[in-house]
Amino acid sequence: MAASNRPHPGPSFQSPGSAGPDLSSPTSSKKSDNSQIANLHPQQRPDTLQNSSSQLSISSNSWRANSVSFGSKGVRYGSRGGAESEGFSMSRREINDEDARLVYVNDPLKTNERFEFAGNSIRTGKYSVFTFLPRNLFEQFHRVAYMYFLVIAILNQLPQLAVFGRGASILPLASVLLVTAVKDAYEDWRRHRSDRIENNRMSSVLVNDRFQHKKWKDIQVGEVIKILATETMPCDIVLLSTSDPTGVAYVQTINLDGESNLKTRYAKRETLSRVPEKDMISGLINCEKPNRNIYGFQANMEIDGKRVSLGPSNIVLRGCVLKNTDWAVGVAVYAGRETKAMLNNSGAPSKRSRLETHMNREIILLSSFLVVLCTIVSVCAGVWLRRHRDELDIMPFYRRKDYSEQEVDNYKYYGWGMEIFFSFLMSVIVFQIMIPISLYISMELVRVGQAYFMIRDDKMFDAASNTRFQCRALNINEDLGQIKYVFSDKTGTLTENKMEFQFASVSGVDYSGEKTEYFGEQGGYSIQVEGQVWRPKMKVQVDRELLQLSQTRNDMKSKEIYDFFLALAACNTIVPIVVNTSDPTEKLIDYQGESPDEQALVYAAAAYGFMLIERTSGHIVIDIQGERQRFNVLGMHEFDSDRKRMSVILGYPDSTVKVFVKGADTTMFKVIDKSLNLDVVKATETHLHSYSSIGLRTLVVGMRGLSIPEFDQWQSSYEIASTALMGRAGLLRKVAINLENNLSLLGASAIEDRLQKGVPEAIESLRTANIKVWVLTGDKQETAISIGYSSKLLTSKMTQIIINNNSKTSCKKSLEDALIMSRKLINVTRASDDDASYVALIIDGTSLVYILDTELEEQLFELASKCAVVLCCRVAPLQKAGIVALIKNRTDDMTLAIGDGANDVSMIQMADVGVGLSGQEGRQAVMASDFAMGQFRFLVPLLLVHGHWNYQRMGYMILYNFYRNALFVLVLFWYVLFTGFTLTTAITEWSSVLYSVIYTAIPTIVIGILDKDLSRRSLMTFPQLYGAGQRQESYNAKLFWLTMADTLWQSIVAFFIPLFAYWKSDIDSSSIGDLWTLAVVFMVNIHLAMDVIRWTWISHASIWGSIIATCICVIVIDAVPVLPGYWAIFNLASSGLFWVCLLGILVAAMIPRFIVKMFMQHCKPCDIQIAREAEKFSNRIESTRNGEIEMYPPQR
Amino acid sequence: MDQKNKNSKKPSYSRFSQQELSAWKPILTPGWVIASFLTIGALFIPVGLVALSASDAVVEIVDRYDEECIPDAYSMDPESFIQNPDIKKTCVRSLRVPKKMVAPIFVYYQLENFYQNHRRFVKSRSDKQLRDPEANNDTYHCFPEARTSDGKPIVPCGLIAWSLFNDTYKLSTRGKPLTINKKGIAWKSDTEVKFGSNVYPKDFQKGGLIGGAKLDEKVPLSEQEDLIVWMRTAALPNFRKLYGKIDTDLEAHETIKAEVENNYNTYKFGGRKKLVLSTTTWIGGKNDFLGVAYITVGGLCLFMAINFILLYVFRPRRLGDPSYLSWNRLPVA
Repeated sequence: MAASNRPHPGPSFQSPGSAGPDLSSPTSSKKSDNSQIANLHPQQRPDTLQNSSSQLSISSNSWRANSVSFGSKGVRYGSRGGAESEGFSMSRREINDEDARLVYVNDPLKTNERFEFAGNSIRTGKYSVFTFLPRNLFEQFHRVAYMYFLVIAILNQLPQLAVFGRGASILPLASVLLVTAVKDAYEDWRRHRSDRIENNRMSSVLVNDRFQHKKWKDIQVGEVIKILATETMPCDIVLLSTSDPTGVAYVQTINLDGESNLKTRYAKRETLSRVPEKDMISGLINCEKPNRNIYGFQANMEIDGKRVSLGPSNIVLRGCVLKNTDWAVGVAVYAGRETKAMLNNSGAPSKRSRLETHMNREIILLSSFLVVLCTIVSVCAGVWLRRHRDELDIMPFYRRKDYSEQEVDNYKYYGWGMEIFFSFLMSVIVFQIMIPISLYISMELVRVGQAYFMIRDDKMFDAASNTRFQCRALNINEDLGQIKYVFSDKTGTLTENKMEFQFASVSGVDYSGEKTEYFGEQGGYSIQVEGQVWRPKMKVQVDRELLQLSQTRNDMKSKEIYDFFLALAACNTIVPIVVNTSDPTEKLIDYQGESPDEQALVYAAAAYGFMLIERTSGHIVIDIQGERQRFNVLGMHEFDSDRKRMSVILGYPDSTVKVFVKGADTTMFKVIDKSLNLDVVKATETHLHSYSSIGLRTLVVGMRGLSIPEFDQWQSSYEIASTALMGRAGLLRKVAINLENNLSLLGASAIEDRLQKGVPEAIESLRTANIKVWVLTGDKQETAISIGYSSKLLTSKMTQIIINNNSKTSCKKSLEDALIMSRKLINVTRASDDDASYVALIIDGTSLVYILDTELEEQLFELASKCAVVLCCRVAPLQKAGIVALIKNRTDDMTLAIGDGANDVSMIQMADVGVGLSGQEGRQAVMASDFAMGQFRFLVPLLLVHGHWNYQRMGYMILYNFYRNALFVLVLFWYVLFTGFTLTTAITEWSSVLYSVIYTAIPTIVIGILDKDLSRRSLMTFPQLYGAGQRQESYNAKLFWLTMADTLWQSIVAFFIPLFAYWKSDIDSSSIGDLWTLAVVFMVNIHLAMDVIRWTWISHASIWGSIIATCICVIVIDAVPVLPGYWAIFNLASSGLFWVCLLGILVAAMIPRFIVKMFMQHCKPCDIQIAREAEKFSNRIESTRNGEIEMYPPQR
Repeated sequence: MDQKNKNSKKPSYSRFSQQELSAWKPILTPGWVIASFLTIGALFIPVGLVALSASDAVVEIVDRYDEECIPDAYSMDPESFIQNPDIKKTCVRSLRVPKKMVAPIFVYYQLENFYQNHRRFVKSRSDKQLRDPEANNDTYHCFPEARTSDGKPIVPCGLIAWSLFNDTYKLSTRGKPLTINKKGIAWKSDTEVKFGSNVYPKDFQKGGLIGGAKLDEKVPLSEQEDLIVWMRTAALPNFRKLYGKIDTDLEAHETIKAEVENNYNTYKFGGRKKLVLSTTTWIGGKNDFLGVAYITVGGLCLFMAINFILLYVFRPRRLGDPSYLSWNRLPVA
């Protein structure tokens, strides 16, 4: 059954390496072992084997002597990894000589002698004081537009080409550069500050056999470092020893992968007893080159002539925090920028929005228009000069000859060819604003405004975590309106990542009835320890009936309940930690473990009076209804994905031995002895079904007593298996399978990983908006599927295609089969059009190893694009990125990745838009994201409302800016045709400069920030309206060309009406220039006004305000006596002709646009248009139509 | 109530930050569309008619004299004629008044194919020098007519001033001379502010090449109205400049004798010279363009109004009808 569950004792990345004396996973160990032996020490091979086996025999002796403690540890080593992790091992490289990094333990000098290993200081800042100016300018000029304007500004400084005055030509570019530079400097200063804090943190480092404090930045590879509890790792460290006699260290990786629970890391047995101050530790670690894989590490260590292998469980990475362990000593292997954390941090590419990319394409088009215009001008100028070549010398308006000197010479004439060339360059200068530089500034301002509104939106404020929406990237706001794929993490993103025990079925009786308050009867279960009250940190709702039964101890029924809760309390890897509270008489027990499910179970057991209070490697102490009991943990078979269950062998105080097993129902029912109590099994199955159908994660618990011969037999085979050199995981699995059979069923538990509020509705909305939602999770398949159901991602009608393969060939086959199946399904059910035609693809990380980066990718893409839903389980962080890349590289569709943990970082950075959830887990995802928020459901307003608005606004603004600048350039161009092609402008130089700075800049920014095509309510009610962005309705090539055609018309009207009206009159160029200036400015503002949808007072003020501002500027310019146009505007405005011209221009220019707009609005209304009308006339519609059934289309 | 949670980062509510400012949301309904077309039509056609009639009321006499005023002997080489200072250049033209012309009658000279807006030409002036006697030396932009060969600044410098138009007209009718009033032909703003009343011409037209009229060095620039008019460079290559005003009416069918002193060399570059006598109305000189344009636009708007009425009648669409939404229109594929 798809929805059945079991907890996952290890997070997804618990991969292959082992801490034991040999290598863990059979395939990789064989391979790497052989190659190392072959490469490094061919003659030693027998010795090595000899060595390890003798060493093993010693350890097996010690196991006999101290069977309890070593037993559990041995299991821990042995059963890690296994089949699920083979994928990772396969993909890992083996260590060759040239790939190796040699680290001499406690000998940093020798270590760093040959190799240039990075020091431990980190540097994320980009600039220093000296490099800031050149480097920042260099980076800014990477923008082609800036480069272009720099070139133009330089050209304008040449005396031959000086079209504008110096100040006027440089001012716009300089102001843009300055604003950007200030912004960059501030950002970099903040980075420097955090670097400095980080680099100056202290750690103890072994120097001359004493631990001394040293700054982080001075730590070198090879040094031995001591970390105390709650300290942070300064670099990547291979553990040597810890305060725990068995060499265990607990670390919290919250800064690294965002998971807040504790993980166990191990020191090697060969080193754990050394005291670094006394015993000289010297050894050689031969490890991989630095890489980004935070879940993989491969190395071996030569110590005392022995070679031991090191895996991911022996290394603690920079940024991890040591917890629950007094101290740990390790040797630095990667430092500074070579640490895995930093390698994963770096390389976040700066993103550019899709719209901006398209815009740049159109800007290239505009520049070719520009070249065309300039070519026309220069060719015509050439022709004109050639035709008049005999007359130029004394032509009154040219006068090539300068007679003022004795020697009559040419004045400013450089030959025919050069004149053509110069007129080309001059026309570039005059027409430069064809390429709208101000657009870049406007866009940044608009984005700031949009960000302000997104941040201030109280619908995206998360009260629970008290976090506002955060806009971290400022240049991709409009991408939010075009998303087609959402890649979501599961745990912590869709769910709250807070597991809660809900129901139990014990011996076929369902306890899912009435719940009491959180505390049960006496305010929650607590125990008295040395006068203190200890209570579990988390309160669990309890079932009253079950609580009463668990407290009695006489009949058969309560015996079963006793066993059930004992199993829950014991059969796990949870470590209880006692935490002080503000009340000195009260302490809390915090259950730490890698699996939140297990935590929930242990808390539940505690609530029912079975409180786990101590776990060491050899025993556990459980307080059962006030009575403290100690059980020996004789052995443990950890979870693996084949068995899908785990078991623990408990030695009771009365020296009976029992094995408790818990696991997924699919595998548990196979090993349960059904002959014992068929009715109970049947009833439990029914309960499981009902639990899982409401999206709960279910687990089945079983138990069996072990007789002495059985135990002995198990113990000996366990010992052999756990010390085996080759294929230990397989052998241990076999031992476990032999043990876990004929179980009697104790019961089943149901845990809720609560979905965040509003997730199903959010997913529903997103899918209605035609956004594909993919879930990529490190969790296992069953969990993923069950969450898929509860979040309405999956429905029972969907056909599921599950791909779980262990080799490339089988992957290939599955993919082909699945493709055939999906095609068939789609064909068959196309006509019927119901949910059955939707295919859900479920694929796991192991299969993805064989698919991603191979030729199978194409098939996966084809399959995935046919599926309505894709669920990827057990995927590693880089695979998440790989899946995003799969879509991103093959389609033009916009992708968004949302996640909360550090394992989502790579995917967040890969996707076009990365969203980080600032919730339970660390800040890593937020740091890497473009946008951060508190809850998954905020994605809906973010995309459907703000994304839609941002896209509409930005798309319109870009087109409008193109229009605005092209219109002005065309008016200038037409005039040039009447001036002998000599680039005279009737419009004054200052008006040319101010045109895009003052005359027309503010309205477009204000409208770009404030205009709303539709209300929030409409957009949320009809997610389909989001399609406008996906279909690129606001900005596309067609619109661009339409706009350009409109621009051409308007420019013709603006130029030629005055031209013909003043033809052969005594009009002077300043006056007609003023008329053109005013006409163009009025036109662009009225054009904008015609497109404004919501007129707030700010829109009014900005549009009419800039018209007034323009008039004032024109008047001021014309009031300067030393300018040729002195007083022109007053003389002009006193004639009736001027006003008639102006009115005629404005009306004639707008008419075609108005006609087309009204025609389209009526005959081919877009969704937005209809929704707008519906918004305004909704009352009318509701009264004429009963209900709004049609407004709500059938949901997919 | 909210005070209890001071740490809350919840954005404070305002209609602005929630983008809920009250707004006017106009939607152009069919009624508005038709009404606006009709309004424009109703406004534009009358204005067009008024403009046309105003243009029609203007009486204009245009006489091109540059070719006719070359003696036949020089017709092959007009330049040698015009450049020879020894030949008398007077030439008599007779103009016929088609309709009664009411004073003031404006006398213009019209130059064609003369690029007064040529970049080299436009830039070749010094506005500071024209205004300020201290700024005589400000001739930076005036090349190639900035200084005399011995380095003294020319006032007024630059090509524009140098090429000052120097044809003169004497009009008479029925043997009586018509006085052409040459006062007040320039903008008041120019004579009062832009051209200094204490700036006098210096070393003007003394170079090797004479471009046009000479200036009386005793008259300040602010009173050299011909120069001021000339220096308001024309916007277009065919332009008129005001020569003077006649303050008496001219009767219809009257013949006017014009004595033209044909000095100005337009032969070099194929320019044309015309003498123009014209009355004006509020729309300026004779120009039918605006009237026609207004009538065309107005007519088009009426036509569009009819079209849209037909469109709304025969293909009505209820505003906001959800059945037109794309997802309702197309069955989900």
